[in-house]
Amino acid sequence: MSEVVEIGKEEREFIEEIEKVSGVNIYSCYQCGKCSAGCPFSFKMDKTVNQIIHYIQLGLKDKAMNANTMWVCASCLTCSVRCPRDVDVAAIMEALREITLRKNPEKVRISEIPKDVREKMPNIALVGNFRKTTG
Amino acid sequence: MVKYSYFPGCNLKTNAKGYEDSAVIVSKKLDAELVEMPKWNCCGTVHTMATDNLMKRIAPVRNLARAKKHVDMLENSPKEVVTLCSMCNSTLKIVNDEVKIDPSKLETINYILSEHDETYDGSMEVKHYLQILRDVVGFDKIRKKVSRSLDGFKVFAYYGCMLLHPEHAAIDDPEQPSIMEELVEALGAEAILTPYFKTCCGSYHTLDQPELVSHQVKKIVDGAKAAGANAIMVACPLCGYNLDKTQKDLEKQGKLQGPLPVFYFTQLMAIAIGEPLEINHFENNFVDPHKLLKELGIEG
Repeated sequence: MSEVVEIGKEEREFIEEIEKVSGVNIYSCYQCGKCSAGCPFSFKMDKTVNQIIHYIQLGLKDKAMNANTMWVCASCLTCSVRCPRDVDVAAIMEALREITLRKNPEKVRISEIPKDVREKMPNIALVGNFRKTTG
Repeated sequence: MVKYSYFPGCNLKTNAKGYEDSAVIVSKKLDAELVEMPKWNCCGTVHTMATDNLMKRIAPVRNLARAKKHVDMLENSPKEVVTLCSMCNSTLKIVNDEVKIDPSKLETINYILSEHDETYDGSMEVKHYLQILRDVVGFDKIRKKVSRSLDGFKVFAYYGCMLLHPEHAAIDDPEQPSIMEELVEALGAEAILTPYFKTCCGSYHTLDQPELVSHQVKKIVDGAKAAGANAIMVACPLCGYNLDKTQKDLEKQGKLQGPLPVFYFTQLMAIAIGEPLEINHFENNFVDPHKLLKELGIEG
């Protein structure tokens, strides 16, 4: 079944926002899927990384933003290193997170982390996580 | 004796104390001494990939400015700041490259730093201590310093992500590195290769998605065991924590038998060079390394 997508003002604004925050030309991606093939976390994602990029290319904000993909991404950068088009794929995931966190800054609620977890967890895990999941 | 301005980062002072203590003592033996820089602050752990957020770049630049000052005070010290933690390394390196390429970013950050009479001139390089070992000290010299060969150790060198990614901050070939294996062999141990040498352990998701980390660690460790490893070597305190702690959890849950002890590369070096075992702070390990050390006759 084919679907016709019209890229109107709203869609264009979303695409431009992603491109501005990530510094990536979203249309550089030609959908080869190498990012998703090498991603160690694809199995946990609702939509694979290249599917998310495709949504962005079409301006489908809700589909891109509602998938768990950006939150499963651990910023290991395997995708960015391997992209044959030099697309910084991980930066696109970062842009999705940033755009979300700038409106809703608490994906992870620090106050809800149990005290014993907070005290035993190495600082590197705490700071790293808060940098990616809070605004 | 070359002295390096050394940036520890937070974890080298806490759960990876054995990493720092072993590294500092080894560095003196190799005439490439790590001297802690004064007044360092957290680098931010993970680099921000958002192009429009300079705030998250202030901490790394402040550290670079202070390291520069430190280098000027030390005698015989190259304009380099050296790290042990691979996450600190990549964060500092990436931001250093960014401000060198874009002086306007540096200017804005310097404006903030100037409130405390600090400024960064973009003249420093960021190095991981593994790079110093390979490029300055040389593995041959390390081989000659070995007094207690690690014969019998079958070491899977786990690189993790940040030693090799992104490409411009990589310490070796991002897809086919050999720096850690060369070190392993210089110490008299056998290097075990597996396809999982840089499969991400789940990193900071250990806090909010521990099941993801468990899945990764099981895959990585099963791969290492199938290839015949009896030890894992790491260079990152977060990889170290995830691999070590999660193996213990998996063992308790009956999902993993015979977990592999996790060593920082400097701990294996300290053992091979004949330093007292206490400096490695193995009491902080979850999977007990003493069993293997006894089996191989390192410990009585």
